[in-house]
Amino acid sequence: MPASTQLGSQLVDLCSVLLLLCCFAIVAQRRLSACVDLFALQSAFLAATAALVAFLTGHKHIYFAAALTIVIKVIVLPRILRKVIERLNVSRELGMNINIPAGLLICGALVIIAFFITQPIIPLGYLLTRDSLAIALAIILIGFFTMIARQKAITQMVGFLVMENGVFLGATAAAYGMPLIVELGVFFDVLVAGLIVGIYTHRLQDTFDSVDTSTLTVLKE
Amino acid sequence: MTVLLVGLLAIYIAGVILPPCFSGKARIQNLVAHGLAAAAGFAGMVLGLAGLLAPEPWTASVDSSIPFLSVAIRLDPLASFFVLTISVVGLAASIFALGYLAELYGRASIAAMGSLLNGFLLAMTLVVLADNGFFFLILWEVMSLLSYVLVVTEHEKPGVREAGLFYLIMTHVGTAFIILTFLIFFQETGSFSFEAFRHPDQQLPEGLRSIAFFTALIGFGAKAGIVPLHVWLPYAHPAAPSHVSALMSGVMIKTAIYGLIRVYFDFMGGEFPWWWGFTLLVAGTVSALLGVMYALMEHDLKSLLAFHSVENIGIILLGMGAGMIFHTYGLHELAALGLLAGLYHTINHAAFKALLFLGAGAVQFATHTRQIEEYGGLLRRMPWTGAFFLVGAVSIAALPPTNGFVSEWLVFQSLFLSFQLPTLFLKLMLPIAAAMLALTGALALACFAKAFGMSFLAQPRSSHARHATEVPRSMRVGMGFLAGLCIVLGLAPMLVVPLLDRVTAPLTGAAISSQVLALDGWVVAPVTVEFSSISTPVLAMLLVVAGALGLLIARLFGKALGARYYKTWGCGLNLTPRMEYTATGFAQPIKQVFETIYQPTVKLEQEFLEQSKYFIKHQRFESHIEPVFEKYLYRPVVALLLAAADRLRIIQAGSLHLYLTYIFVTLVLLLLWAG
Amino acid sequence: MQSFIPIVLVVVQLALLLALSPFVVGLIRKVKARLQCRRGASLFQPYADLAKLFRKQPVISSTTSWIFTAAPYIVFASTVAAGLLMPVFVSHTPLNFAGNIIALVYLLALGTFFLILAGLDAGSAFGGMGSSREAIVATLAEPAMMLSILSIALTAGSTNLSTIVHQSALMEGVVVAPPAHLMALAALFIVTLAETGRVPVDNPATHLELTMIHEAMLLEYSGRYLALMEWAAGIKLLVFLTLIVNVFAPWGIATSLAPSAIAVGLLVYLGKVAALALVIGVIESMFAKLRLFRVPEMLGAAFILSLLALVFFYTLKG
Repeated sequence: MPASTQLGSQLVDLCSVLLLLCCFAIVAQRRLSACVDLFALQSAFLAATAALVAFLTGHKHIYFAAALTIVIKVIVLPRILRKVIERLNVSRELGMNINIPAGLLICGALVIIAFFITQPIIPLGYLLTRDSLAIALAIILIGFFTMIARQKAITQMVGFLVMENGVFLGATAAAYGMPLIVELGVFFDVLVAGLIVGIYTHRLQDTFDSVDTSTLTVLKE
Repeated sequence: MTVLLVGLLAIYIAGVILPPCFSGKARIQNLVAHGLAAAAGFAGMVLGLAGLLAPEPWTASVDSSIPFLSVAIRLDPLASFFVLTISVVGLAASIFALGYLAELYGRASIAAMGSLLNGFLLAMTLVVLADNGFFFLILWEVMSLLSYVLVVTEHEKPGVREAGLFYLIMTHVGTAFIILTFLIFFQETGSFSFEAFRHPDQQLPEGLRSIAFFTALIGFGAKAGIVPLHVWLPYAHPAAPSHVSALMSGVMIKTAIYGLIRVYFDFMGGEFPWWWGFTLLVAGTVSALLGVMYALMEHDLKSLLAFHSVENIGIILLGMGAGMIFHTYGLHELAALGLLAGLYHTINHAAFKALLFLGAGAVQFATHTRQIEEYGGLLRRMPWTGAFFLVGAVSIAALPPTNGFVSEWLVFQSLFLSFQLPTLFLKLMLPIAAAMLALTGALALACFAKAFGMSFLAQPRSSHARHATEVPRSMRVGMGFLAGLCIVLGLAPMLVVPLLDRVTAPLTGAAISSQVLALDGWVVAPVTVEFSSISTPVLAMLLVVAGALGLLIARLFGKALGARYYKTWGCGLNLTPRMEYTATGFAQPIKQVFETIYQPTVKLEQEFLEQSKYFIKHQRFESHIEPVFEKYLYRPVVALLLAAADRLRIIQAGSLHLYLTYIFVTLVLLLLWAG
Repeated sequence: MQSFIPIVLVVVQLALLLALSPFVVGLIRKVKARLQCRRGASLFQPYADLAKLFRKQPVISSTTSWIFTAAPYIVFASTVAAGLLMPVFVSHTPLNFAGNIIALVYLLALGTFFLILAGLDAGSAFGGMGSSREAIVATLAEPAMMLSILSIALTAGSTNLSTIVHQSALMEGVVVAPPAHLMALAALFIVTLAETGRVPVDNPATHLELTMIHEAMLLEYSGRYLALMEWAAGIKLLVFLTLIVNVFAPWGIATSLAPSAIAVGLLVYLGKVAALALVIGVIESMFAKLRLFRVPEMLGAAFILSLLALVFFYTLKG
């Protein structure tokens, strides 16, 4: 493969790896606000990856998606979440179902699983982004894991958003981005989801004096 | 060769028969029994070396009137290597016993112990020499039974009989599985001869081979103490007298390693699916990690050492497992490297573990307790024992330039060379096993820092330790011999590797001695010097030179400043032993970090003064760790068995007529079936 | 003549390690002082400290055994020996054959072992506490270190440090596996902080009972013994810094024995080590010391990073 493509694909790999690293940082975090910051950072890396792919392939519409990512995921959503945290006086510590070292180990295993699952289809992908597919899958799995392992509603939102980032990366990697209209729809969805979770957290706080979702178990009576 | 072997057997048999002849003279009994055992040990060493150097395996066999049984002996390099290992440790342990048993004169039968020891050594030697399945099983059973009797020597002490019984049951479960293994081979070959097992007329079917793999693993694993079959080991090994513990931990569990190598590499001919090696690798990793972790929580010195045997068996299995995986993919040289690393660790572990057990025996001899918490300050009271124990501790912690380092380094190399394997899964798993081995090594370091530091350093923690004195000379000689061996095995891999290569070459089909040793043998370099190399002699020299440099600088600056001695700073208080850090305290952070594995329970009961809750009248603290395997694996099985037995009791009505009826019905049914 | 060169190289390397290590310690202290708006002690203060300590009469605890007085020499010897195994400013170090990177790790472990014993020997509770903590930190750092080392070794196809450094120094343009390298670097950096007792794990500047690790073990030492221990700690720090700069940024190291190449290699090496010391100084000023039971989380993260390095090495083809 020509040197420029190799360099390009290495850069894409590097960006994707940084995205994945952000996931691990989120799992390793104890403070709620830091989780949100890390999510913003991850989204910034995502935008960078998308822009890089756009530049290297010449698919102009990916630029647009990257810009949207910056606006919505780097600026708007973290702001909403931060406001929720601030307004509700949520305690800084995260509630954990699984402690940090165990969580990290599980995430490490998830990465390995993701690579194994995607191994057969990796050679079929585009040369430039084929490795990112495995990383995207790993990010989705870790996002899901975060939703399970952390108790507070806001961390679950972060987990969901991380999953969404993974999906976006996967789409960029596998198909050089979704059609514009789909992308717009997804972004709108995410925004709405963010708002809904914001409101839901408020209600949770009102009813239980806590944003710990494990308090919801009392509803089964 | 024949003369040597016959001589060896004769000395052992004399050692079994003669001691009881000197009734009433304990000292002479001791001298005769252990003198003969030592002589046999020496003869065994010569025989082992001769066997290793011999160009062809040496065989002898006498047919017997019992079908399928023949007294067949075969001294091939593999057997010779184990004969050598057994004899070396046997030699050291019997010299040690000369002094160690002196305090038992008049209290226990020295003649019986001496005879049993000789018998035990003889059985172990013959087990590895046997060339017939039937013969092997008989010897295996003799070995197990004799070791059981030796374990319960001090049966009046609490817990010893239970430990013995536990051991007896586990070893018989193991034997049952070994019998199954041999029956599988027998079914194919129609003979119990190992020669027939080695060259079957037709290959065993794949499924049957896999079953044989597992039955052998369980059968020999129960003896070797592979997790989760290790539960008996920490009870039985410490219960025996220390020189017997040294033999059991140092060499008896190695006969199981011998069995595994014999079955997998020799009988199965080295055609394994990859997951066999992988299973061994996983078993090794788990054994190594859990062994050392439980050892850290153990404050009975001999139990601690027993758990370390589990760890080291794990390390040996890592080498073997890596070897088997490489063998599957036709990388014969790497397979030989893995197996060689495992065997190297086998003899190293025999040396340092026997040394440590003898050291523990010496300490127990001097203090009459096994609790680390009651030791302290022993190095100043027992300088020789302390120095030897330190050599053992440094070796088992795999620190350069000792023998443990060389073999663990070789295991690391064989795991690192996994990048030559074709599948991604194994490429990832072997390095992870290496990382776990690194963790094991570091934990072993912590554990022996604890064991040595708490026992030999600082102030004595009890009057036992305060009144300890150095042990008699013969005990020091026994330990000193093994300590010297640890150092030689570490500094001279160029002598060991060619010998081991003669063992692994026929089994893996690749001779690697010339590749592993570079620069006239001064450098150990698996595959190529470019990939990796170490040279323990040079490392040792570097350490000496750098240490001398430090000494020189200190002299140069400080001229000849003497030192002033003053008591340890204790915040203005006089320091008492009660203020010292305890072994429990030392291991506490580790317990907390690996909480998930230990599942510790802590109970604190406090009673306060009535006036104020800030003044405690008395308090009780209790803390122990969950014996996970016993609780979740063994207890359900035992409960199941008991429940089944309960059900079966219905048929046992106590009526003689009913029992006769059972026998009659069985007889008739059998006749019908046979007809 | 030709046979002299290796000996000269070893001696120069030895002298460099011994001479440079107090400077690195001084440099980090200076950086921290400046960031705290203090002037700080002179860069050469650690030399003066060492000289002073060597000239003082040591006081030895009367409860100790020979381990206590032997330990400083063993710790010093093992650290120096480890330092001689790795390439410093010339990629082909003569003693390379004597031990690869695993041997280096285990040599340092030998020092740690005797350091722990020395801490226990005086019988004070402080020493025991320090030893116990050192044991857990060293234990947890080990697997991360081994895996990160392996992923570097795989790139070069060798575990011999000289070969690793030489190969990566000769490589031009594109680095082979950037994500793997990045992860391994991060992991090794965390391990370095833990192994050398820098801030988030241990505070080298404190004598506060509740937080000290390394200092607690040295509490009973004085005079030449303390000097040797402190010096060894400095050399250990330098060994780790050298490892990082030479493995991850080998640019400029002398790949031949030409005088000009060696001069350049030496200068570049000094610059790189100083830069890394600067980074460590900044990090020490930025972070607070972690609670002891948070350290496993950090080292666990290092382990995961090194595991990812390995996974990426095999899977990301670039």
